[in-house]
Amino acid sequence: MTQLSEALDGKITSAMKEVARKEGIAPELVRQGVASGSIVIPRNNQRRGMAPSGFGAGLRTKVSASVGLYGSDAGIDVELQKIKAAVSAGADSIMDLSVSGEIDSMRRQTLVSTPTPVGTLPLYQAIAEAAGKKRSPLHMTVDDLFDVIERQAADGVDFLALHCGTTMDIVQRAKKEGRIDPLVSYGGSHLIGWMIYNQVENPLYAQYDRLLEMARKYDVTISLADGMRPGCVADSLDGAQVHELVILGELVMRAREAGVQIMVKGPGHVPLNHIEATITLQKSLCRGAPYFVFGPVATDIGAGYDHISGAIGGAMAAWAGADLICYVTAAEHIGIPDVAQVREGVIAARIAAHAADLAKGLNGAATWDLKLSQARKDLDWEKQIALAIDPQRARELRKGRSEESSTACAMCGKYCAMKVVSQYLGASERSC
Amino acid sequence: MTQVLAARAGRITPEMEMVANRESVDIEVIQTGVASGKIVIPKNVKRKEFNCCGIGQGLRIKVNTLIGTSSDRDNIEMEARKLAVAQEAGADAVMDLSTGGDIDGMRRQTLAQANVAVGSVPIYQCGVEAIEKRGSVVAMTEKDMFEAVEKQAEEGVDFMAIHCALNFDVIKRLKISGRVTDVVSRGGAFLTGWMLHNNKENPLYEQFDRLLEILKRYDVTLSLGDAIRPGSTADSLDGAQLMGMIIGGELVARAQAAGVQVMVEGPGHVPMHHVRPTMLLQKRLCNGAPYFVLGTLATDIAPGYDHITSAIGGAIAGAAGADFICNVTPAEHLGLPTEQDVKDGIIAARIAAHAADLARGNKQALSRDLQMAKARVALDLDRQIGLSIYHEKISANGGNGDGSHSCAVCGPQCAAQVAAKYFGIA
Repeated sequence: MTQLSEALDGKITSAMKEVARKEGIAPELVRQGVASGSIVIPRNNQRRGMAPSGFGAGLRTKVSASVGLYGSDAGIDVELQKIKAAVSAGADSIMDLSVSGEIDSMRRQTLVSTPTPVGTLPLYQAIAEAAGKKRSPLHMTVDDLFDVIERQAADGVDFLALHCGTTMDIVQRAKKEGRIDPLVSYGGSHLIGWMIYNQVENPLYAQYDRLLEMARKYDVTISLADGMRPGCVADSLDGAQVHELVILGELVMRAREAGVQIMVKGPGHVPLNHIEATITLQKSLCRGAPYFVFGPVATDIGAGYDHISGAIGGAMAAWAGADLICYVTAAEHIGIPDVAQVREGVIAARIAAHAADLAKGLNGAATWDLKLSQARKDLDWEKQIALAIDPQRARELRKGRSEESSTACAMCGKYCAMKVVSQYLGASERSC
Repeated sequence: MTQVLAARAGRITPEMEMVANRESVDIEVIQTGVASGKIVIPKNVKRKEFNCCGIGQGLRIKVNTLIGTSSDRDNIEMEARKLAVAQEAGADAVMDLSTGGDIDGMRRQTLAQANVAVGSVPIYQCGVEAIEKRGSVVAMTEKDMFEAVEKQAEEGVDFMAIHCALNFDVIKRLKISGRVTDVVSRGGAFLTGWMLHNNKENPLYEQFDRLLEILKRYDVTLSLGDAIRPGSTADSLDGAQLMGMIIGGELVARAQAAGVQVMVEGPGHVPMHHVRPTMLLQKRLCNGAPYFVLGTLATDIAPGYDHITSAIGGAIAGAAGADFICNVTPAEHLGLPTEQDVKDGIIAARIAAHAADLARGNKQALSRDLQMAKARVALDLDRQIGLSIYHEKISANGGNGDGSHSCAVCGPQCAAQVAAKYFGIA
């Protein structure tokens, strides 16, 4: 039984109850969301020691952080430190996107290192193993790919990113319309190369039912990856992207019929004036399936600061209905993030998620802002710091930028507006 | 003669030409915009030549930064370094908000060293001097207020934030509505305190024509201070804020009629779903005057990261019509920023402004992103560095450095390279 099939049977599982408790909503609402497919609760039935979390409509916007082994300098220990940093900074989900090295070992350690749902991208491991055993991923067989998928599912991975919608038709469309950047997604690029070299259709599309069967067996949530996500603002909402989204919508319906939980991954690089349309299209074509966006970054030129361009796009996207934000770190487009950049990336994405929850009027979101603003008005520094999204950082900055003895802050010093006005607005005002 | 009077007389000034060149737009667009009040070009007639910028409709969104001493930290050498950092990081204008130490010396230093438009808030100096000389900010005299404006105008300040749109009507609304954070504008707080204590109407409102006369003489651009901006998302779009905006609109019309360049300051803490209505209201009530927003901050809960909360708000505000974004640094709400904070704040605001320019269809902005995308596809690292918002943090990227799309995992027979060949980008 999957969460979806249970929900369709009218049953409220312990995972649904746990999600409802964390969100402060009725368990029945969670069940209805899971049944309709607008909520997923990624939780592999083989996974142990995890706290279920829900992604989707009516729930708090969640944040996912990606780590993983990449290149010869990578080490499992450092990646585990990044997981720890991400989780302590408030990440709701971890993706292990290892592409090289001890991929099995990294995944298994990831699964026991975080209580959050864990996602992976099995194609990466299939590519690495074919490169090792068969000298090139071009010689990977379809069975090789499915074997890796099954292995990862059997290990307990909660959600799998799979490029099922990147079909030959779409690849040809991208070429024909002269996409500026047709190779955005690492997995997508290799898959496309494999399809062209072997002249066969994408096996994740052609043998989608085989995939659904495995996913159902472990209650793995499918995260439909978009091989044609725009990698620059000029490519946003082009024919290839929208065509793929149409196909993804069809695949969503098939997954639901099979009782498999499914969400859809999204861009990427999206100009602000395309964000609402992108989300609306996804929600319409994919019948309300949770949308898992990568950023999106609102401009191409923010290299070195893409946690900020990602926060801008992510806030807009989540406000428009995206449910899960994959963080973008300051190292994006430049290299591999270090532990500090992972932490900073999670906080930036959480700010975006919260700003969106506030704009959407999500239950409880405004209370947090209100409490902090009241503490600010009261010049209660301990409370302000405790309520801050990152208390550690707030404390450091307060220490470094103001005299600790001061009741105000060094920006205004003794001419604090809060203090001046409080004196004159009557006794009903809070004192400083 | 002010820029706006020149524009109305059909003249094209060197400043208009400079703006047209920098923006790659027709000079007529600039002249018409200045004449109608939809564009301002802050430049005091006393100021020597500098990189002046146009702010308003149809132009690239500009970024302002703040420097200045405070009572807790009055190190003018540090502020000079911040100015240098700000210009290097791409600020289009800088405001000196000093309230500590040698305020006159600090302002003169800024005016001498800046190559961009310089703004100030004269009521700060006025209030601080009243406290020093007479023990309280409420001891400011009307004469002090106008003299502070005149002195700073005479020295060459290009634009001044002056809280004229604050009167007893606004304060009444404030008392009735019961805010979470009453008045967060320091200038607004000084004046509110002064008005309530002395039981007198705001002189900068009541004697607005006197003010306009001074500003016109030096072609100082009036930046109508947003005394009543929301300081928490809960206070956004309340009665007090809107009353302030209505009064501001009336004053904009009078300034425009008098031939004084004018723009309007805006919030502040604004939840995302309030940003568009805020911009629409301002443009409607203030006759299309350029809008200068502080942030806007999309949430209250991230002290230490308010450069990010304001990048989110600023981008949406810019896309909805804001013309000038005041940066917010990571030190906001916690203390006085360092040089690094100023730099981080400016870059975050520039990303927001640029993202908004893209959404508004600005041709220069679209072209830069397209070039960046092409440089990425071509794996041309040097061009990527040149096109990025700020080059400092970019070092080694370029795939494997051999100019191919091969990845580190596959080796020579890389599937991605096959795909690249197929698309003709190998």
